Amino acid sequence: MIVIEQLAKRFKLAREGFSFGARKGAAPAFVQAVSQVSFTAANGCITGLLGPNGAGKTTTLRMLAALIEPDVGRLSVDGIDVVARPREALARMGVLSDARGLYPRLSARENIVYYGALQGMAADAANARAEVLAGVLEMKTLLDRRTDGFSQGERMKTALARALVHDPANIVLDEPTNGLDVLATRALREALRFLRTPEGGSKCIVFSTHIMQEVERLCDRVVVIAHGRSVASGSVPELLAQTGERDFEEAFVKLAFQPVEALR
Amino acid sequence: MKRDLHAVLTVLRKEIVDALRDRRTLLVVLASSVLMGPLVLIALSAFIASFEARAEQREVFVAGIEHAPSLKNYFERQTYSIRTAPADFEARLRASTLADPVLVIPPGFEAALLRGEMPLLEVVSDSANRQAESGTGRLNRLLSGFNRERATLSLALRGVSPELLEPAQVEERDLASTQTRATQVTGMLPFFVLMAVLYGALNAALDTTAGERERGSLEPLLMNPSQRWALVLGKWGAVASLSMLIAVLSCFSFLPAQWLLRSDTLQALFQFGLREALLFLAVLLPLAAALSAVLMAVAIRCKSFKEAQASSAVVVLGVSLLPLVTVFNLGGEAPWHLWIPALAQNTLMTRVLKGEDFSTSQVLIPLAVCVALTVLGVWFVARRLRSAAVR
Repeated sequence: MIVIEQLAKRFKLAREGFSFGARKGAAPAFVQAVSQVSFTAANGCITGLLGPNGAGKTTTLRMLAALIEPDVGRLSVDGIDVVARPREALARMGVLSDARGLYPRLSARENIVYYGALQGMAADAANARAEVLAGVLEMKTLLDRRTDGFSQGERMKTALARALVHDPANIVLDEPTNGLDVLATRALREALRFLRTPEGGSKCIVFSTHIMQEVERLCDRVVVIAHGRSVASGSVPELLAQTGERDFEEAFVKLAFQPVEALR
Repeated sequence: MKRDLHAVLTVLRKEIVDALRDRRTLLVVLASSVLMGPLVLIALSAFIASFEARAEQREVFVAGIEHAPSLKNYFERQTYSIRTAPADFEARLRASTLADPVLVIPPGFEAALLRGEMPLLEVVSDSANRQAESGTGRLNRLLSGFNRERATLSLALRGVSPELLEPAQVEERDLASTQTRATQVTGMLPFFVLMAVLYGALNAALDTTAGERERGSLEPLLMNPSQRWALVLGKWGAVASLSMLIAVLSCFSFLPAQWLLRSDTLQALFQFGLREALLFLAVLLPLAAALSAVLMAVAIRCKSFKEAQASSAVVVLGVSLLPLVTVFNLGGEAPWHLWIPALAQNTLMTRVLKGEDFSTSQVLIPLAVCVALTVLGVWFVARRLRSAAVR
């Protein structure tokens, strides 16, 4: 279970090169990436973070993965505070981040087992787990090939297997369908549905996306994020009812693109 | 703690495997840094051997020997064989196709000599022609020997003691031991092993930091529950071991290279045995550790491998230029040399080649500097790792 409360983060803008006439000691410029995000993602449930580009989804997930410290707010994973005990929280999470680079000179299996070892697993256990995940993600034939030259979908599968190697109770995916074709997207959807079920481990799954269809097809709950705030949450029918729309896309546009003033 | 150690070893093992699979880069490093030193040494020995052969040949190239029977007689008594210079000797000297200076004797030399008119002998060489230039000294000594003989004979005829011409005796005494003399030739050896250590570390250092950022694999790596310092320590350990491996290969490559030396003199002078190789390693291994950390610290600030290569050029330039201080600085070793990385190692390796011993401070100061640099570099990378991953 993942709980995020009143999260806020702003970044200092880096000044590039010289700027003529810039006063010394001028107040540094800031950009508010996340201003108020709160949501709860339950176990055995797929929670979608839906928002336009630049809404703060990736920043929120990076804070959840303890890569960035929040200015304000609380994040907890299975009751463990991420800021105070980041390593324990990370041990309970499998994160597929926006950056999902693999090591091209290692095989898919080596990539996966490396992360298993870093999670503290024994080599045999990590290897066995790689086999299991390869079965679930339909990538058995890829396992012993070097990842150099993998297609987008193959890379994504490897990265996902790598993130799940320690069988975490919580799965966090940042835009997992980016660059995937229909078949790969479908396979991923099936895998996530399986992980949600009791046989799959009743995982708590959070994934961010800007694609409406993904959310409609897959999510039990949707959190709409816009301008760094969580502006609405609920199941798809609930959000439709809330906005009085019949089309989910219309509902999303209404929720996400309402004027900033209305949110204050 | 045990878990952190496990993480360090995991990263170390993975990075070494990763680097060793980069066959092409590895081959280039091996070819350029490990083989380069011995190859240059062998080329040098061939060069010196040709000098020696030329000196042993005892030949003089003369234009117009028919004008100077007395000089011809002198040369022959000195067991020199006289070769007639080719007609186009000036052009050939300029083009470096003629490797000996040419003595030009003007017509009427013999008569002028007898009349005491001090006829002119010309030694023609080209200072850009290294081989011919080295022969000029020999030819000049030969000619002054001729002059001295004539003068002594003239004085003796007039009943004057030849000792009047030389009121004092001059004798040279060379303080240099055989090994010290050898360093004039083998002085560039430390430079080659320093470069080998540097290039051994360079690629892996950039790949584990800037390369990891460029691939987008640093962010996922940090989402593992490992301490950042453990990750960095593992990476540094891998880079340093590669650099040390290259250092070992480079040092030991001089042992077989020795057997191939063509020049007997050089072979006698260049004494690089197991002891010297081990002392070289003792000096180089801490430097390999420090350079690895410094290169990683430089590269972690760069977003791409290419950017990191540009930034690390400063380090490469520093390591290749600093040892030159000893070339320009005629005051010899200064105490501050030991505090400068690369320069200190160069100084110590030169001492090894000269067969001189180290004092404790000479060992400890560079070691302390290397340890400090390593700690600083690793600390800096660990500190920057998280912000580097996100940006």
